[in-house]
Amino acid sequence: MMNSLRCAGCRLPGAAAAVAAAAAAAKTASPSHLATADLRIFRRFTHHDGTRAMSGTREIVGYGVNGSPNYIDCADFPFPAIRYREVTSEICAMREKELGDWKKLSLEEKKSLYRHSFCQTYSEFQYFTPEWKLAVALGLWSVAIGLIITLLSNAMIYDELPITYDDEHRQAQLRRIIQLQMNPITGISSKWDYSQNKWK
Amino acid sequence: MLRTTAGKLATAMRGSLGVTSTRVVAVRCLHGTEESAEEFDKRYEKYFAREGIDGWEVRKGMNDLLGMDLVPSPKIIESGLRACRRVNDIALAIRWLEGCKDKCGDQQATLYPYLLEKITPTLKELGVPTIEELGYDKPELALKSVFDM
Repeated sequence: MMNSLRCAGCRLPGAAAAVAAAAAAAKTASPSHLATADLRIFRRFTHHDGTRAMSGTREIVGYGVNGSPNYIDCADFPFPAIRYREVTSEICAMREKELGDWKKLSLEEKKSLYRHSFCQTYSEFQYFTPEWKLAVALGLWSVAIGLIITLLSNAMIYDELPITYDDEHRQAQLRRIIQLQMNPITGISSKWDYSQNKWK
Repeated sequence: MLRTTAGKLATAMRGSLGVTSTRVVAVRCLHGTEESAEEFDKRYEKYFAREGIDGWEVRKGMNDLLGMDLVPSPKIIESGLRACRRVNDIALAIRWLEGCKDKCGDQQATLYPYLLEKITPTLKELGVPTIEELGYDKPELALKSVFDM
């Protein structure tokens, strides 16, 4: 009951009791379908419904990230919204045992209870894997392939550079720029002394 | 290698930026009133010790604490462990211990034995195993690659 309400997004303090009381009152007053209709008012339809469906029978134990019933192993947020594994009869039996003295639980049982709630331990999800090598290698490979493509295009696809790229034409172009006084404030002509006809 | 370099860089930055206790206090300011470390500890102890606390609130408190720039004091850790006992969730207690150990950061060699020494009576009383007893201080299981599923 409590859980289904929580799945429905109902999280007010004392809400469970109030809803249960309302349902009981409705049940005594009218046929049971009215009671279920009353409960349905509390159902929120959100964009997390798909995630909720995917989480299956996993118990929802917290708010999670933006209210979405996701599981994540992360040191910044170590207690995710759902337990990692789905409910089975064995785990139910073990959780019954958990209600009693924890000293009576064996180490194996404690471990399996932990693994029921969480996927990886801290030391496991913080273990430094050599994955960075792959990332660096892929980056270097793409640079190398790009360089090869550039060199090949220059050698085989493009024509020779136009004649205006030779020194004489570029000098003439520069002279023209200065004569036309292009960019006189901060640009190239501002560096030309027109009275003495040379660079400042 | 990358990790050691990053670690060294972080240490250098920490030295130059000067993260001192005054700054921690500034972070803990609540609407202009400064909260001392003792008051902060008391607040969280009270939070975890509240009657009728449920798993959601325990997780919320722990998530918040482990997100802060501090190592929870032994009193808070004990209080959190007792809250786990009250909601009957040993997995939560073990994870909480792991989280507190992780918060010791690069001072783990000095801080963690101190914390452990302080909370050992509570651990014994509740029957919560330490991380070392469980063997969770080293990776136990490897995840299967998603490409092999």
